[in-house]
Amino acid sequence: MLSLITWSPLIGALIVLMLPKENKRAIQIVSFTAAGISLLASLWLIPQFDRSATTMQFVEKWAWIPSLNVTYFLGVDGLSFPLVLLTTFMSFIALIASLGIEKRMKEYFFWFLALEVGMLGVFMALDLVLFYVFWELTLVPMYFLIGVWGGPRKEFAAIKFFLYTLTGSVFMLLSILALYFRSVPHTFDMTVLMGSQMQSLFDPRFQILVFLGLYFGMAIKIPAFPFHTWLPLAHVEAPTPISVILAAVLLKMGVYGLLRISFGITPLGFHWFLPALVVIAVINIVYGALCALAQTDMKKMVAYSSVNHMGYCLLGIVGMTAAGMSGAVLQMINHGIISGALFLLVGVIYDRAHTRDMSAFGGLAVKLPVYAGIMFLTCFASLGLPGLSGFISEFLCFLGAFQAWKWAAAISVLGIIGTAAFFLRMMQKVFLGPVNEKWAALEDLTLREKVTLLPLVAVMVWFGVYPKWPLDLMNATVAHLLGK
Amino acid sequence: MRNLGLLTPELVLAGLALAVMLLDMVLPRSRSRWLTHFAWLSAAGVLALVVAGIGSPAAHGVGTLWVVDSFGQFFKMTVLLTATLCLLMSLDYKALPERHAGTFAALMLLSTAGLMFLISASDLLLVFVSLELVSISSFVLAGFERGNAKSNEGSMKYFLFGAFSSAILVYGVSLYYGATGTTRLIPGAAQTPMMILALVLLLLGFAFKASIAPMHFWVPDSYEGAPTPVTTFFSIAPKLATFCAIMRVFGTVFPAAEYDLQALFGLLAVLTMTIGNLTAFFQDDVKRLLAYSSIAQAGYLLIGVAVGTARGTEGVMMYSFIYVAMNIGAFAVAQAVGQSAGSYSLDSFDGLSQRSLGLALAMTFCLLSLAGIPPLAGFMGKLYIFSAAVESGRWWLAAFGLLNSVASAYFYFRLAHRMFFRAADKDAAPLRVGPFVYGGIAVAVVGVLLFGVHPEPLIAGVRASAPLLP
Repeated sequence: MLSLITWSPLIGALIVLMLPKENKRAIQIVSFTAAGISLLASLWLIPQFDRSATTMQFVEKWAWIPSLNVTYFLGVDGLSFPLVLLTTFMSFIALIASLGIEKRMKEYFFWFLALEVGMLGVFMALDLVLFYVFWELTLVPMYFLIGVWGGPRKEFAAIKFFLYTLTGSVFMLLSILALYFRSVPHTFDMTVLMGSQMQSLFDPRFQILVFLGLYFGMAIKIPAFPFHTWLPLAHVEAPTPISVILAAVLLKMGVYGLLRISFGITPLGFHWFLPALVVIAVINIVYGALCALAQTDMKKMVAYSSVNHMGYCLLGIVGMTAAGMSGAVLQMINHGIISGALFLLVGVIYDRAHTRDMSAFGGLAVKLPVYAGIMFLTCFASLGLPGLSGFISEFLCFLGAFQAWKWAAAISVLGIIGTAAFFLRMMQKVFLGPVNEKWAALEDLTLREKVTLLPLVAVMVWFGVYPKWPLDLMNATVAHLLGK
Repeated sequence: MRNLGLLTPELVLAGLALAVMLLDMVLPRSRSRWLTHFAWLSAAGVLALVVAGIGSPAAHGVGTLWVVDSFGQFFKMTVLLTATLCLLMSLDYKALPERHAGTFAALMLLSTAGLMFLISASDLLLVFVSLELVSISSFVLAGFERGNAKSNEGSMKYFLFGAFSSAILVYGVSLYYGATGTTRLIPGAAQTPMMILALVLLLLGFAFKASIAPMHFWVPDSYEGAPTPVTTFFSIAPKLATFCAIMRVFGTVFPAAEYDLQALFGLLAVLTMTIGNLTAFFQDDVKRLLAYSSIAQAGYLLIGVAVGTARGTEGVMMYSFIYVAMNIGAFAVAQAVGQSAGSYSLDSFDGLSQRSLGLALAMTFCLLSLAGIPPLAGFMGKLYIFSAAVESGRWWLAAFGLLNSVASAYFYFRLAHRMFFRAADKDAAPLRVGPFVYGGIAVAVVGVLLFGVHPEPLIAGVRASAPLLP
């Protein structure tokens, strides 16, 4: 089943490649079918997913390269399953948003589906080589998606993103190889490497070195300060659906890797690094908020808000408590939904006005009531208004961090004020105040835009009112992770 | 002359090469393409002969000046495969004069035969003679486009450097003879300074053919000037055959570790990778770019040699095989595009994806594979080589190799950038890709994808053929 979820986009991509490029309708149908199969298959797994189990579920394991003991090993637990759902869901949403793409659409859908394969694989792979292959598989499609369909500085953004991430991942590869040769018998199997028998072979110094290599790769993806500089550029230059994917899924790969691999396999290294991670989390929160506050470009502001929100995520992790950890995982999901919606919303206004400069607008709420309503709701969810999803996860993150790192939590609370400030400032400038007559002709949301946004809004409200459902998915696994 | 039968494939190939020359005199000029067909069929036939001999004890053994083992047979297969594909590519290469098709084909075959002798050589006399056979045919091949000034320049440079490095090699051989009293490669020579000097000079002689760093200066010019099928051949076959010879000499007979040469190998590897990759940044000609890339690739291979373990040897073999596929693919696309545009400048690749998405994707796959991005074959090869370095504790070599891969991604992507991001020139000449070039590209892309996704058969094959005979 997991294989079906992972590979159906690839089959779609190959079919798209064979279709003539004039046949746009067929390309769209094939892409939607492929992503739709993934989505439905992942939804179909929800009732079968055992929420109380702490082991990997739906496991598929075959020999892949027996001479190196590399296996094709897929499986999900409470940490990865919500992220798989997030990926199939957001990919489908982004695909709907991609219907507007006219330029070279055959290539676009090919790369898009290839990207989805990579993202899904990262969250399911339980073999380090397989993980690395999927991890890298996301890079090349992303390079082309930003570079061909992006904004004015797309080419620079694309190569910067590519080289930055590639540099990080080669250090990750070194760490993976080091783990392989230290384990007896040599293995790339994550579940075995996490086991106590292997752990006894990894002395603290070794774990610290391996952790640093892994962290370098993950931190760039997260992005954790000071490796965040690729992010604003890539997010701003990418076309709207790709910004959605970048923010909603790609950033989560970093945090997921940090929890699954760094914390799972090199716990001693992770604990050694904790104090630094706390500082990085605080910097991400405060610095991200301040940067966002300084932007006049709405998309850039949303991009920096990602840096800010991934800081909350890290803060939840560093507390090393069940509440904080669950909060961090939930924050990943919520940020995926919310920032995806924000990028879509910014894309809507950019498509109409061809500018994203906040000061160019004013009083839009009068002209575009539906749009403004959804934007307000999303911003409130993002800044953590109780009743919406962002509040729950941020609260849990703080709760987790406060017990261990009181000062860090205290400073980070200031970051929340910053978060609120930049969102409110944006809302005020764009939607309130005197109406700028220049934009009198703007139209409200089209049907396609509503179709993309409403499911996201529904999830924000649902998780805000009834967070038990997503939390139940992950609680057992989180407790198990920490229990070691 | 015991065991001459061991060299049957080589002798058959040399005989066929002479047959091509003779046929050239008899055949009317309008039929000269037949000779090329005959030549590639000969190379393929000899390849089949070598493949048929796998595992048969009669085909392996130690001879007077030569030794035939599965390790060497593996490299002979890569060389013959390269020769076959390059001859096929040359069928669609228009700049070759028709009336010299026979000479061209015969020289390619002779050069290949020389490489096969080199792979089997266990005596420095045979090493020298076979290297000269390769070099002299290569000098002529490099300058085959007589009307093209660059071709002449490249050939001249190649010749001068070649003569120089032959002299170094012979000097090494003479010192070796002085130290041991024989030209045969026998293990266990004392570690006298003279012996070590002899080994270093031998290494430099090999380094010329394998385009290893201090001896690489001829590469870009002669690669740029030579006819593209010849460039393709140069960038693969002599390099791999020389690596086989290097590993025979410095892997088993005189283990680098025993003669304190491992640090030297490591240094050369780092130097070769770094120079190749950093210089490739500034190239505006696809053939030059690929030339520097092939220098860098030699550096990765050298990591495997520097490590010196069984895993390192296997890594080199595996990477060599994959290297054939990815380099043939890249050069074949370059030939198709360059020939249609009349120039190999990067500009001629602008907007290739809109003119032919298939060619652009094929090129991208080969380049990504050269850069070592999964899930393509190049990644598996690099994984194997770098894992050998990590296993033996030389993680710094692996780190250099990985960082170099990142750097190389930059210039490979410059090409991808041209193909996908730029708009095509409206007045560009239409793409004319011959059926044989298409065939070569197809074989290469299938190899690059297949061994990336399913490397197990290749690894198993490499492991089975890794043992060397003394």
